[in-house]
Amino acid sequence: MVMTPRLRKFMLTAHVTSSIGWFGAVATFLALAVAGLISPKAHLVRAAYLAMELTTWFVIVPLALVSLLSGVVSSLGTRWGLFRYYWTLVKFLATIVVTIVLLVHTQPIDLLARVAAKAPVFTTDLHSRQLLMVLASGAALLALLVLTALSVYKPQGMTRYGWRKQHEQRALSQP
Amino acid sequence: MANPPGYPDTGAPRWVRVFGIIALVLILLFVILHLTGHGFGHMH
Repeated sequence: MVMTPRLRKFMLTAHVTSSIGWFGAVATFLALAVAGLISPKAHLVRAAYLAMELTTWFVIVPLALVSLLSGVVSSLGTRWGLFRYYWTLVKFLATIVVTIVLLVHTQPIDLLARVAAKAPVFTTDLHSRQLLMVLASGAALLALLVLTALSVYKPQGMTRYGWRKQHEQRALSQP
Repeated sequence: MANPPGYPDTGAPRWVRVFGIIALVLILLFVILHLTGHGFGHMH
């Protein structure tokens, strides 16, 4: 499948925007998670967890899904393909894993936001979830940085599938 | 599975293997963390 230049640029714009937006939103989430964990001000802690829930559902999850989808469409419409080179394959698999981990962590995010909406102060039994938010968003930020670096550096290496496809195309193009 | 003709015998590049090991460790850590009850949104 080869896309027209106009469609390819549109998909690339969608992919770059959503991926960088995802990174920025997770960085914001990390700042809120740290504030929620260490701030002595109860109103700031409650505001942080309420904002984290909104940011997750209305910014991070949509951007993650758009990034994954636009990445798949972009790769399939260019010479890179989705399974031909290791860097596209690794990026695809890692994006799926990060998205699944994100969706799993919406549970503790929702719990913290529910508590923040009701209780004036946080109890100590929520401390492990508060800490988890910092660790998970820090790890996600690192993973997204690595994914961005993969797109820029495009490390070498063709998969068996890519090698076979290239061989077939060369054989077809020879008279 | 046999390699296609001309495909390097060394298999996947070193960076892919390093990535795989790191990913495996992180996934194991994630699973262990959640199986031990740290992280999910249920109140005990």
